Amino acid sequence: MPIYLYIDHRSAIHRLHPTVKVFALFVMFWSVYWVDHPLALLPLGVLMVALAQATGSWPNFYRLRWLFILLIFFTTLAWMVFYRRGPALINLPIIHLSRASLVFGFGRGLKLAELLATSVLFLSTTKVEEFTAGLQRMGVPYRVGFAITLAFRLAPLFIDSALTVVQAQSLRGYDFNRGGPIARARRYVPVVIPVFMGALRKANNMAMALEARGFGISATPTSYIDFPMRARDRMAFAIVAGIGMLYFAIYYFGYGAIAVN
Amino acid sequence: MHELRLMWRNTRMVVLCAISAALYAAVLVPFKVVPLIPGVTELRPANAIPIVCSFLFGPAAAWGSAIGNMIGDFFGGVGPGDIFGFVANLMYGYIPYKAWGIIADGQSPVMRTPATIAKYVAVCLAASVLCADLVGWGDNLLAFRPFSILGNIIIFNNMISALALSPLILYGVYPRVRAGRMLYTDVMPELRERPRAVRVAGLTMLLGGELGAWAMGNLVSTGYWIPSFLPASFAISPYDKAIAVTVSPLIFVALAGAWLM
Repeated sequence: MPIYLYIDHRSAIHRLHPTVKVFALFVMFWSVYWVDHPLALLPLGVLMVALAQATGSWPNFYRLRWLFILLIFFTTLAWMVFYRRGPALINLPIIHLSRASLVFGFGRGLKLAELLATSVLFLSTTKVEEFTAGLQRMGVPYRVGFAITLAFRLAPLFIDSALTVVQAQSLRGYDFNRGGPIARARRYVPVVIPVFMGALRKANNMAMALEARGFGISATPTSYIDFPMRARDRMAFAIVAGIGMLYFAIYYFGYGAIAVN
Repeated sequence: MHELRLMWRNTRMVVLCAISAALYAAVLVPFKVVPLIPGVTELRPANAIPIVCSFLFGPAAAWGSAIGNMIGDFFGGVGPGDIFGFVANLMYGYIPYKAWGIIADGQSPVMRTPATIAKYVAVCLAASVLCADLVGWGDNLLAFRPFSILGNIIIFNNMISALALSPLILYGVYPRVRAGRMLYTDVMPELRERPRAVRVAGLTMLLGGELGAWAMGNLVSTGYWIPSFLPASFAISPYDKAIAVTVSPLIFVALAGAWLM
């Protein structure tokens, strides 16, 4: 699985201010949280589909299609075991199959799938540096933002290093596929150790290079990348805030709940 | 817990934090496609990394664990529950080195005596249980998933990695990192511990709180036992209100214990 999902499509969503995108991410969490009924969640699902089309994010959704299906299926199933409310439609040993448990479980599955869709959309349209810029504008300290960016950047390098070591060891006849799941995982330990030590060798040099460039002298350092707030960003901010308020109103007036008889 | 704040002043610790996070994410993301229980959790050999990094980099590993998990979460769907996941992973990286400092002060975690092995298992279990409690509690509070699913799977998943993989990696890496003077005690020699009596009291509170929360969470989320003082409206699935009243105080005791350690 690639560590970056970003797709350079240059859509209107791509060009939004990072703070607006991070705010939209939180508003989606907020909106999804307040309602339980699948019908109340459906408009958000339709919005996700429209945004996926507008941003050209379908390749990422297609890549994760099984995750979406399994997420909904197993969440519905899990809640049919634990949500034992409403008259049972069929008597089964562990599963309580009632209309209420089915609707509740499917609603939970849909919620989680919409949260996954939100994160896929966010990563498809937002670069790492935009994400950290957005977090910093929302009050996350610069050093924390820097660590997040650096971690995002280093992870693919470590995966590449690990693959190189795997290939080198395989060429020498080392069999990574022998034994059961735990034995196999243990056979990857000789791969992790050189990657780990290589990373540590980088750490010292990186720290010195950062300090030589004045890292941490100012709490609000300047940046080459500038993200000006434009009229379209303010409009998007208002629309997103409106969605959040609308979903809270749906909850407040009792329209998003599931009725149990 | 003051070192979790102080470490951000040290550039080398910031880099080690990013490296811990990147290593964690680098192993976490490829295994996102190997679900253990689809929609709930996946196979996580990556959980060996925070334990190893905790013994090496202390507070940097704690933040690294939280950030690495956040990066991984973006590929399995982020949501409001991930705030609990962030804190849970922070604790998963924080508890091992702190608890080790109390029960095995000055000893190397790679010594192979029965006492050292028992202490190692104990600190990994303490970290895993708190991590599982926090995620299970948070997800049940939000009524996303029952405590009894996540609260147990996470302990199992974490302990498998901590016992089968971490010791091997630690055995290969720890002596080299110590020789290179890259342990957190070398990078931040200014760190001072609280008096031993306070730290022991903290550890006792942590263990009491987390074990109580685990037992209470399992009993309440399955509906097996609901305290009689709770109103009848709390004693219905998904038991989110019952979990809020019964498990939350125990979680806060555990977190207060972690703070005193």
